[in-house]
Amino acid sequence: MAVRKTKEGGQHHIHLHKGDVGRYVFLPGDPGRCEIIASYFDEPEFIVQNREYVTYTGKLLDQKVAVTSTGIGCPSTAIAVEELIAIGADTFIRIGTSGAIQPGTKAGDVAIVTGAIRDEGTSLHYMPVEFPAVADLDVIQAMKEGAIRAKIPYILGITQSKDSFYGEIDPERMPIAAQLQNRWKAWVDGGAVCSEMEAAVLFIISSINRKRAGGVMLIAGSDDMRS
Amino acid sequence: MAKIDFPEVKYHIQMKKGDVGRYVFLPGDPGRTDHIAKLFDNSKLIASNREYRTWTGTIDGEKVSVCSTGIGGPSTAIAVEELIAIGADTFIRVGTSGGMQPEQVPGELAITLAAIRDEGTSMHYMPPEFPAVADINVIEALRQAAIKLDVPYRVGITQSKDSFYGQHEPGRMPVADRLQQRWKAWKMGGAICSEMEAATLFILGNIYRVRTGGIMLVAANQESNDPNVGVVEELDDLLAVSIEAFKLLIEQDKKA
Repeated sequence: MAVRKTKEGGQHHIHLHKGDVGRYVFLPGDPGRCEIIASYFDEPEFIVQNREYVTYTGKLLDQKVAVTSTGIGCPSTAIAVEELIAIGADTFIRIGTSGAIQPGTKAGDVAIVTGAIRDEGTSLHYMPVEFPAVADLDVIQAMKEGAIRAKIPYILGITQSKDSFYGEIDPERMPIAAQLQNRWKAWVDGGAVCSEMEAAVLFIISSINRKRAGGVMLIAGSDDMRS
Repeated sequence: MAKIDFPEVKYHIQMKKGDVGRYVFLPGDPGRTDHIAKLFDNSKLIASNREYRTWTGTIDGEKVSVCSTGIGGPSTAIAVEELIAIGADTFIRVGTSGGMQPEQVPGELAITLAAIRDEGTSMHYMPPEFPAVADINVIEALRQAAIKLDVPYRVGITQSKDSFYGQHEPGRMPVADRLQQRWKAWKMGGAICSEMEAATLFILGNIYRVRTGGIMLVAANQESNDPNVGVVEELDDLLAVSIEAFKLLIEQDKKA
């Protein structure tokens, strides 16, 4: 079946065309953050908004770069990433906020993500569960170098990409509370460093399409907040 | 339930604290430990029990070891558990593998950043959604070593499977369709090699907060575009790059 296009020939959901974005795209969850990110570009320009997808472009070191919001969760993220790849993007950095998982992690810490726990439904429509959601080594190294150059302390590790925000924050009120709590304990024991909702599907779709992806998260809530 | 006794001398590897260094190579084949030990200074055979054969020596004055794991996740998990219990904290799995992408040429090296958990052992530790990811610093050291020694390599994902013949002769298995569909998914996902131990090692590494990585010789490639593609069994490049990677890590650790 052919992919539906908008009347203008743009991508169905992000409403962008080939040539609108460069190779390098930042992917925040929140549409409201795109303008802030674009303010760090040279020549920032608002391109289009449709649903939760807001896109700005600009330049860094004279290279065209863009920022497109994904909305919350892997379903809307998968759509954004598929459509951005279709118009030529090949390098993605997911940038967002997250919750801490390890005791001792503080709000304000920065986590560079190496891999993601596929605690979500979308990536399973692409790839069996045993396949690792892993970031691109060059992107990870670039973010490490970026943090070192900017003198910002960072943690390196695995993120939990979940489908249910309130299942994490308030598991007791869910009918499957015991399962949620047992699995959370496994992620803690496995050393996961943060919890967010989009990285796993970005990494799986990037592996399938041989594109580069990584993620950097601000720890916005500490583990103490939960308990 | 019987009380489990944790003896000083570990049950399977037959070693105790002090017998190995922090840095341990993990080949599958006990026979290969002798080749690897020849590249150490002052190497000495420490123990040999079942498929677990261990030598300890030094590299740049630092104590290092090699311990074979046998084939598969079950025996690998035992080796890694017991090695961690006696003080090892940095592991490089070295082994042979089959290529999975058409353009891969036998003889090149596959540096394994992560592993497909197509096996049973790691499921006894961690739900399957958790990614089997290696330590980034170990992977970066392996890459720097390959660049320094000018050996062709690629970085990527390995398939860690439980059944050798399920991969090589899936057609004769009652679950043939499933095996073939999954193999196709791993290929489409960009996996670069197929072996049998990395996933277990990486999951244990995450749980016990020890550093792990893997480097495989691509010995053959059943997916090659070239109908006359051969088999390469020469291990010199693989072992040279592995030794160089430990040298880089030892140097970094001394500075830290």
